Amino acid sequence: MVDTRKQWKAWLYLSPAIVLLLVFTVWPIFNTIRLSLMEGYNSTMAANPYVDHEFAIGLGNFKRVLEYPNFLTCLKNTVLLCVITVPISTLLALLIAVGLHSIKFLQKPLQTIFFMPYVTNSIAIGMVFAAMFNMVIGGSTRPDSVGIINNLLEALGIDYVNWTNAGSKYWANLVVMVVYIVWNALPFKILVLLGGLQGINKQYYEAARVDGTKKSRVLWKITVPLLSPMLAYVIITGFIGGFKEYSSIVGIFGDTMGPAGNPYRMDTMVGFIYRAIGKQEGTASAAALILFGIIFVVTMINLAVSKKKTHY
Amino acid sequence: MAFKKKEATADLADSSVVMNARNLQQTAARQRISKICGKTLTYTFLLLMALIVIFPFYFMIISSLKTTEEYRRSVPTLFPMEFKFENYLNVFTDKDFQFWVLFRNTVFVGVVSTLLSLVITVFSAFAFARLEFKGKNALFAALLGTMMIPGELFTITNYQTVNDFGWMNSYTVLIVPFLVSVFYIYLLKQNFMQIPNELYLAAKVDGTSDLKYLWKVMIPLALPSLISITILKMMGAWNSYMWPRLVANDSAHKLITNGLRGAAFVDELGNTDYPRQMAAVAVVSLPLFLVFIFLRKYIMKGVSRSGIKG
Amino acid sequence: MKVVLQNLTKIFPSRDKKSNQEVVAVNDFSFEIPDGKLIGLLGPSGCGKSTTLYMISGLQKPTSGKIFFGDDDVTELSTENRGIGLVFQNYALYPHMTVKQNIMFPLENLKGKDKLTKAEKLERAMSAAKLVQIDELMDRKPNELSGGQQQRVAIARALVKMPRVLLLDEPLSNLDARLRLQTREEIRRIQKETGITTVFVTHDQEEAMSISDMIVVMKLGVLQQIGKPQEVYDDPVNLFVAKFLGTPPINVFNGAVKEGKLYIGDAAVLETPGVEDQEVTVGIRPEGFELEADGALECQLSNVEVMGRDVSIVTTHPASCNVTIRSIIDADCKVDVTATSVRYNLKPHKVFIFNKETEERIYF
Repeated sequence: MVDTRKQWKAWLYLSPAIVLLLVFTVWPIFNTIRLSLMEGYNSTMAANPYVDHEFAIGLGNFKRVLEYPNFLTCLKNTVLLCVITVPISTLLALLIAVGLHSIKFLQKPLQTIFFMPYVTNSIAIGMVFAAMFNMVIGGSTRPDSVGIINNLLEALGIDYVNWTNAGSKYWANLVVMVVYIVWNALPFKILVLLGGLQGINKQYYEAARVDGTKKSRVLWKITVPLLSPMLAYVIITGFIGGFKEYSSIVGIFGDTMGPAGNPYRMDTMVGFIYRAIGKQEGTASAAALILFGIIFVVTMINLAVSKKKTHY
Repeated sequence: MAFKKKEATADLADSSVVMNARNLQQTAARQRISKICGKTLTYTFLLLMALIVIFPFYFMIISSLKTTEEYRRSVPTLFPMEFKFENYLNVFTDKDFQFWVLFRNTVFVGVVSTLLSLVITVFSAFAFARLEFKGKNALFAALLGTMMIPGELFTITNYQTVNDFGWMNSYTVLIVPFLVSVFYIYLLKQNFMQIPNELYLAAKVDGTSDLKYLWKVMIPLALPSLISITILKMMGAWNSYMWPRLVANDSAHKLITNGLRGAAFVDELGNTDYPRQMAAVAVVSLPLFLVFIFLRKYIMKGVSRSGIKG
Repeated sequence: MKVVLQNLTKIFPSRDKKSNQEVVAVNDFSFEIPDGKLIGLLGPSGCGKSTTLYMISGLQKPTSGKIFFGDDDVTELSTENRGIGLVFQNYALYPHMTVKQNIMFPLENLKGKDKLTKAEKLERAMSAAKLVQIDELMDRKPNELSGGQQQRVAIARALVKMPRVLLLDEPLSNLDARLRLQTREEIRRIQKETGITTVFVTHDQEEAMSISDMIVVMKLGVLQQIGKPQEVYDDPVNLFVAKFLGTPPINVFNGAVKEGKLYIGDAAVLETPGVEDQEVTVGIRPEGFELEADGALECQLSNVEVMGRDVSIVTTHPASCNVTIRSIIDADCKVDVTATSVRYNLKPHKVFIFNKETEERIYF
């Protein structure tokens, strides 16, 4: 039997958490759905005491969001960044983790280095990356300084590129973002995959060695399948994080989310939602629900695929 | 079939691996070469990647010590020719950046929200781990369910809510909405569950009160998790950007990351003075490095299970 | 393919750097495994038997010494170039592959002129599977198989590339008692059918004795004795080997040799011509006792266990090194259960005497 006095105690202990969750988590869920269905809702209009404003109920907000060119830019940027960075960072992390796992000499120091970007402020380090790619424009035809990355390219005999300055190309902006996001995503993936590798029985590798299996074959036929639960985990969390990309772009491009003269070119879905907050709540809510829907569907697909692939 | 006959096996063994003295030496040499090649390749790859990973940090530090003129040279230097420590001095004195105000705000918000969050988390986790009440499992499942929803979805309404409460541009708005983390409750509940129930029953037999038991037994045993939560929460305050920018971007309540991104660090001509900016970035990054060096294992413990970055 | 080990030594560096304590896992180990035989490497855990096996396999490199397969010196050759098959203690079957894929895996690594067509691979895999009688299970995953079946798959995988030497690391230790008995017969049968030189490692002397052509007894990295199981049992070179082989174990006494006679306590139990007077350790096999009314050795009777075919008599004696002495005699002999003591005569070939310090056998 549950003792009633204890029941009362349990609810007392839980009360602060429950009150806060009701206000800041549960209510927003319902309210977001409510606002998304109120055509053209915006708080300024709703708060105006002199106008008795009725908002029609319907799916107009969703329609408007999807037709809004800015939103489509955001969607395109988000999906592109996701689709490019998740495979690259996963593959690199896999190779690095396998490499780290196979060596003895220098293993610890290298591990420490690879984990370093883990605990960073993505805005602050984004500013470092921005500086690395930035050109300092002077009076002459050639910029005073083309930035350290361009210096490296020139050392390799490649022409310098306008990465982030005014007049830069879209693909150049995208490359900068991909480099930064991959760099930022590596440590977590390496950490998880290395942990997974250390959990694999060494005898599988000895058995493969006895059979003279080539290194690459061991990687694809033994390591990857045995690591598949961890790989699925980093891919799924990678996609979820990727769809919520925002602060890394602010880190590189600042609040304007684009190079000078071309603001919001690199805007993302989260950026879109944030800019609509306090102005166009109806649209913002619809966008947030679309984002949630995309993340949900992608996660489900990932889970379904990984269930098939990781089953053993 | 070959397996059934001794001769056949011997024959096959001879053909499949032909062995004579010269062949043997060749094979041994070949395998040594391939082993060396493999190791070289592995180390080259790892060292190259390590260089890429570490380079931004290195760039940040050398740039922060350069003079503006040296930074802007068309042929870059990989090490400062003369150290300009004034860049760092400037971080603390810059009128635009206001380091000490930002620092005070951030530490205050961090400490208060960490303490309150720990209390709420400990009591909730204790209720879920040790007490029996109706609807416990359903409630816990519902809490876990909210973890799937992206935080941006809450922000829209929360912005309205805090506005209605009149909390805009205050410390309260930075602290209260994020006090409860379902993930922390989950983490600590798991940790509490590992403590054998017999200890609780024994304490009850001795007439120990819940609170005393919690304080004397559960908290010491769950200390590593509590430390993880503290570090993650403090780092959260240090790194938070989006919410503060929306609700408390006034100079009195601004947090450090917003201050860093917002400050201009420009010279007289309006061009960004990168060495000064890099010095500020380095100063803001320093506490995180210290955490990384000394408290890494606590972060790893929490984060590898969540996929959430500090 | 005969396998020769020459002065094989393996030294592991110490785990912690401070103490610098090296571990000599295998010490100056030499022996020759004749072609087509089944050899049991036997010893208590930590005796270096697994290390020896791993050195034969090439997974571990000897610190010094040489390994020959036939006339080829394979010491420097890495494992994949040695043409061996290895069965691991916990089988190491790839969990994500079916039985068929597991067995075919080694064949897919063959290169150059050894490369097989798909049909050939399948045929080889099938015949290996038939040999170990798992051809019905080809499409299952390892976790859908019993321990004994997994063991067979592991053997099939080791055999499928027709190795020159088959190595088994504690092949039966993960099986329950009944399966163990069955599987060891199976290993014997497979080895006979294929005629592949086979080395297996075990700590179970009964297992080694029952199926090996030869056993190799090891202790702390040092070779103790090699021979046919019965020869080693009947003629142990030292106290360790005598104690390690045989169930129930050999009975050990403190004794002395005086004027050509062996004494246990005050009783002269045996003639030992040509042995100098000295204190000795005496080992008597359980089957070395004969009940006689006027026997030389008197023991206090504590228990009689009738086990069908034989009778096991448990007694005590002040000179015994163990708490009890166990003798096994024919069930036809009637034992007076109510008596307080029994008297034995000893069968000379079941009695071994050992030097008290070196524990080496003293022959007489």
